[in-house]
Amino acid sequence: MASRIVEFTLNGRLTEVMVKPLTTVQTVLREQLGYTATKSGCKQGGCGSCTVLVDGQPMMSCLLPAEDIAGQDVVTLEGLTPRDGLHPLQQAFVDNYAAQCGYCTSGMILVGKALLDSNPEPLRDDIIDALAGNYCRCTAYEPIIEAIQDAAGRMAASNGKEAHR
Amino acid sequence: MTTQAYYLPKSVDEAVGLLAEHGPSLLVMAGGTIAMPLINDGISFPERVMGLRRAGLDSISRSNGHHAIGATVTLSRMLTWDEIPLLQKAAHNVGGWAIRNMATVGGNLFAPPPSGDFAVALLALDAQVVLTSAAGQRVVPLNDFYTGFMTTVVQPGELVSEIRVPVPAGQTAYLKFARRETNTPSIVTVAALITLDGQRVSDARLALNGVGPHPFRARRAESRLIGSVLDEAAIAHAGELAAEASDPMDDAVASAWYRRKMIPVMVRRALAQIVAKEASDGI
Ligand SMILES: Cc1cc2nc3c(=O)[nH]c(=O)nc-3n(C[C@H](O)[C@H](O)[C@H](O)COP(=O)(O)OP(=O)(O)OC[C@H]3O[C@@H](n4cnc5c(N)ncnc54)[C@H](O)[C@@H]3O)c2cc1C
Repeated sequence: MASRIVEFTLNGRLTEVMVKPLTTVQTVLREQLGYTATKSGCKQGGCGSCTVLVDGQPMMSCLLPAEDIAGQDVVTLEGLTPRDGLHPLQQAFVDNYAAQCGYCTSGMILVGKALLDSNPEPLRDDIIDALAGNYCRCTAYEPIIEAIQDAAGRMAASNGKEAHR
Repeated sequence: MTTQAYYLPKSVDEAVGLLAEHGPSLLVMAGGTIAMPLINDGISFPERVMGLRRAGLDSISRSNGHHAIGATVTLSRMLTWDEIPLLQKAAHNVGGWAIRNMATVGGNLFAPPPSGDFAVALLALDAQVVLTSAAGQRVVPLNDFYTGFMTTVVQPGELVSEIRVPVPAGQTAYLKFARRETNTPSIVTVAALITLDGQRVSDARLALNGVGPHPFRARRAESRLIGSVLDEAAIAHAGELAAEASDPMDDAVASAWYRRKMIPVMVRRALAQIVAKEASDGI
């Protein structure tokens, strides 16, 4: 079977790609479109470094055929990053030393974003539960949990002053 | 070899039509959380794959005494569906958030052990599996669904289209014992449903996962409980009978020996939860 055209929204922009059968969203993002913030870790759905948001929900892009997301809304870390400066979640990760090698960071931040969108004042346990599918192998989880808590506070404080993406 | 064709049927009819046309060489995939890792690793290299995400099998409805859950309903959806708390609890015990956003109810029936942490709850609820093919439909009790290690009654050409769950009566408990709290393989998972008639047990269902070739019901343990009072002796005896019925395996997570040892412990804890719930409901 020949390649097919898949149309979806990537970080707010209508995007069209040509894919071979069963090409994953991860491959499309990294290899076809050059969006390398989405990492390639275990390719088993086990590490979370390839997390993207599909219609606002975290999914493992390494397990997701591109054809399955036709017409849907995909957000990667690139889409979260404003033109100038950083998203409050990104800034909170910097300020809380929540990144070391950085490989898990993109997935962690996107899970944080999905969590804060549905639950702007998460309890510590809510954050831990949300992050259960994302592995960090160097800086460990505590600063990551703290960064998300910190970002929740920052976003609540600036709510009304400016609209976040 | 790379995959030559990926089909995304828009209806069940189209899906079973493709199955009839291509035969068993067509790999069925729902959430892909089991199938895709094998493909990514080159362990499985299907020539043709059919994805079910668009096949219209993702609704939940209720009709004469049972809930009908579409095969591709995700476990995240089950987490927010509050009709049967046992299923909510079970859904939360599969993978992490992103996995639950992809993993399906139907796919969990095919999960290799020690996976099957949602199916085990369906088993305790006496669920039935609706199998659809180009020739029609048949309904199989989930209890008769498994025929062995990673084998089921599903015939070539058939799809799991729906899972029917009778509206349950009685108290339920669900416990997954594992190395960490979430996103972790089961050492032993227990799903229990107990109905009391006064002090005595009138119906007992005890389903186990992680300790056999597939989720199973501990029938002799259930018989031991029926007609008796839920006291320490009955619970301990049921736990031993459940352990005898098991056939656990060694893996990286736990030894077969340890898994078997933990069965009576987890059965006791699950039944203790039910006793406590009964006590607080009685107040
Ligand atoms: C990181 C990670 C953690 C996990 N944790 C757990 C866990 O804690 N507990 C647990 O139980 N599982 C766990 N799993 C396994 C898996 O996610 C679940 O069992 C899930 O429910 C499988 O559903 P799926 O739709 O993704 O399956 P798929 O990969 O889509 O399907 C697997 C196979 O089942 C068959 N199949 C699926 N749907 C149908 C259908 N409707 N009709 C006919 N055949 C069908 C096909 O043969 C298919 O190849 C985990 C997986 C990962 C990657």
